[in-house]
Amino acid sequence: MKIQTLLLLVGLLLPQLALADGPPEQKNFPQGVSTERLGDELWREVRQRDMQSSGISQVKGVDSGILINARGDQWARFRMDQLSTFGGIGIAAIFAIIVLFYVVRGRVPIEGGLSGNMVHRFTDYERVVHWTLAIVFLFLAITGLILLLGRPLLLPLFGKEVFSILASASKEGHNLFGPLFLVSLIMMLISFARRNLYERGDMTWLLKGGGLIGDGHASGGFFNMGEKTWYWMVILIGLVIAISGLILVSPNFGQGRLIMGLSHVVHTIGAIILIAVSIGHMYLGSIGSEGALEGMKTGYVDINWADAHHDRWGKVCHEENLIIPAEEYARLQGQKPGSTDEMATAEQGK
Amino acid sequence: MIEYLIDGPLWYFSLAVFVIGVVWQLVSIVFASRKQDLSVARDSATSGAIRTIFTRFVPHKEISSQITIQVVAGYLFHLGLFALLFFAAPHVVFLEHNLLGFGWTPMPHWAFIVSAQAAFLGLIFLWLRRMVNPVSRLISTLDDHVAAILTFVVMLTGCFALLEGSTGLRLLHRFSVELWLIYFPFSALMHTFTFIPSRAFTGAWFGRRGIDA
Amino acid sequence: MARMKFYCDAERCIECNACVTACKNEHEIPWGVNRRRVVTIKDGEQGERSLSVACMHCSDAPCATVCPVDCFYTTGDGIVLHDKDICIGCGYCFYACPFGAPQFPEEAAFASRGKMDKCTFCAGGPEEDHSSDEYKKYGRNRLSEGKLPLCAEMCSTKALLSGDADVISDIYRKRVINRGSSAFNWGGNAKITG
Repeated sequence: MKIQTLLLLVGLLLPQLALADGPPEQKNFPQGVSTERLGDELWREVRQRDMQSSGISQVKGVDSGILINARGDQWARFRMDQLSTFGGIGIAAIFAIIVLFYVVRGRVPIEGGLSGNMVHRFTDYERVVHWTLAIVFLFLAITGLILLLGRPLLLPLFGKEVFSILASASKEGHNLFGPLFLVSLIMMLISFARRNLYERGDMTWLLKGGGLIGDGHASGGFFNMGEKTWYWMVILIGLVIAISGLILVSPNFGQGRLIMGLSHVVHTIGAIILIAVSIGHMYLGSIGSEGALEGMKTGYVDINWADAHHDRWGKVCHEENLIIPAEEYARLQGQKPGSTDEMATAEQGK
Repeated sequence: MIEYLIDGPLWYFSLAVFVIGVVWQLVSIVFASRKQDLSVARDSATSGAIRTIFTRFVPHKEISSQITIQVVAGYLFHLGLFALLFFAAPHVVFLEHNLLGFGWTPMPHWAFIVSAQAAFLGLIFLWLRRMVNPVSRLISTLDDHVAAILTFVVMLTGCFALLEGSTGLRLLHRFSVELWLIYFPFSALMHTFTFIPSRAFTGAWFGRRGIDA
Repeated sequence: MARMKFYCDAERCIECNACVTACKNEHEIPWGVNRRRVVTIKDGEQGERSLSVACMHCSDAPCATVCPVDCFYTTGDGIVLHDKDICIGCGYCFYACPFGAPQFPEEAAFASRGKMDKCTFCAGGPEEDHSSDEYKKYGRNRLSEGKLPLCAEMCSTKALLSGDADVISDIYRKRVINRGSSAFNWGGNAKITG
């Protein structure tokens, strides 16, 4: 009985298997009318946000085949709402922090004061390279900030006509000096790269906060870890700024608006970061630390300063007897011994 | 009113001071009395003079490694400035309309900008070297610094006026040029012309004695 | 007050470029500057459509938002114009504009673009109406004579419509009804297969 049922079932199933022809196929109705929604396709092309495909125009120009570029408005709003606002606030905040730091901590003195015994630190060429980069950078920073923040901050003060003159001058100056920044950067890279390579002892410096944490002494080489980090920030972010700037300043190569907007954002963010940290650099290199400016001004630093801030290098100077005694240094400068002013003035006569 | 002054009387005044001043200075140099050289002439003074004017464009090899900055930056600045002054399109047009009545083919715009950049870089480098090197700084006079800075101001105001859309910026540039022209004959800027009699004199003096200076 | 707009009917535009030529001629626009252009999508394929594009005179214009010297202004009719004396030629308005309307006379190296130029809806500029200064800088001022922009007037198929937004949308609404297509089938026709 069971076998018969089974056979019956199989007998009924087998023909079904033979007749089965897979998943149901699309049935074409040869006499029908189908409406393709061409409007959708056209609308999609017109409304595309990222300009994947472009049309053709008899008018040849940059992006002339593109109907709508939605990124442009996005970029415009980002620049005015976020970039300008937070960039300006960021720079002002860093400036305020530095002022606060000076008011609270004051100038960092050297234990035991300056001795007058000097050691050579930077050659003439190295100082010229640094100050060239500094002057070009400051000029670019000021003109750039006028272009970024001028409309909310300066236009209400000067009025449209006068501000337009200021902005036009800034734009021309900024565009012309930009490539000079790249050249100065490359010279800086060649002159100082070797001494700025990270080495053993830099992590310790960082963990001690450069002397802010703990007993106030952090060991450093010719350049300490903070200086090295600033150096590499300048070189790397500076290169990004320079290259994006070169893209922005040569529209004659037909870059589209997307590349220009992107380059502008990268350029501005990089510039704001460098400007903010450079305020700290300028502070520390001048009034923030006793004996710091002399190195970049005259090329010579006090050995006590070297021992306090760059003791590993100071040790080498002691060992290799590179120290110039105070009397000798004063004599070479043409002054009476004991004075720390490095240049003779009216005494020498002309 | 200011526009009238800067484009009118002050321009002519500065031009007059420049031309008369330069000619006066050069004449007084060339016709200054010289100590007579009583030695027997071994070779031609004239050939020495002319030769030295050109050989001095390249530094002596004994000192060339020590003055690389000055040579490189110096040529960058001077060549850039020369190209700027005489072959930049706005200047060619200016010279044609205001001075000469004829013009010539200017540089393409990108070459104008590149020469300006070379001139700026050279000048910044040179002036910084003057300030940074202790010996240069010691022997530099106020005149040296004013000459460098005034030239920089002329170039900078020119850069600011590049769009050629603002009367104010153009007048600023022209005014700085007029100040520069007035300052020129009484300053170190005279080296533009005096380098010729200076090299010629040295070359003649040594050439007469048979020395290649 | 009127709110002036352009509308280009993609169904009617035949890419004749009469609008481009009329604009260039009327305002004596220099080489390289193209206030108006015709863009053709799917050129040569089925569903090819052309659209005439110039400044769309946006209510919340991105160009005006981003200009570093704030040289743009909107007239009472909703027309977005700019002051060439204030313009510094930086090019930001061109980056921001969704339609690529701002144009520059030069594309030289070191971003020496010259002052920006764009469609003015034939309404001139901030200079005095019909003065030679206004003509030299901004082109003819037709609007103050009570005339509409020449590009739309010259359109051979009346594809390009210009004028008050309510009036234009009414004209287009009537066209759509006459064509018998639904709003979702914009630009499309029935197609027979098989």
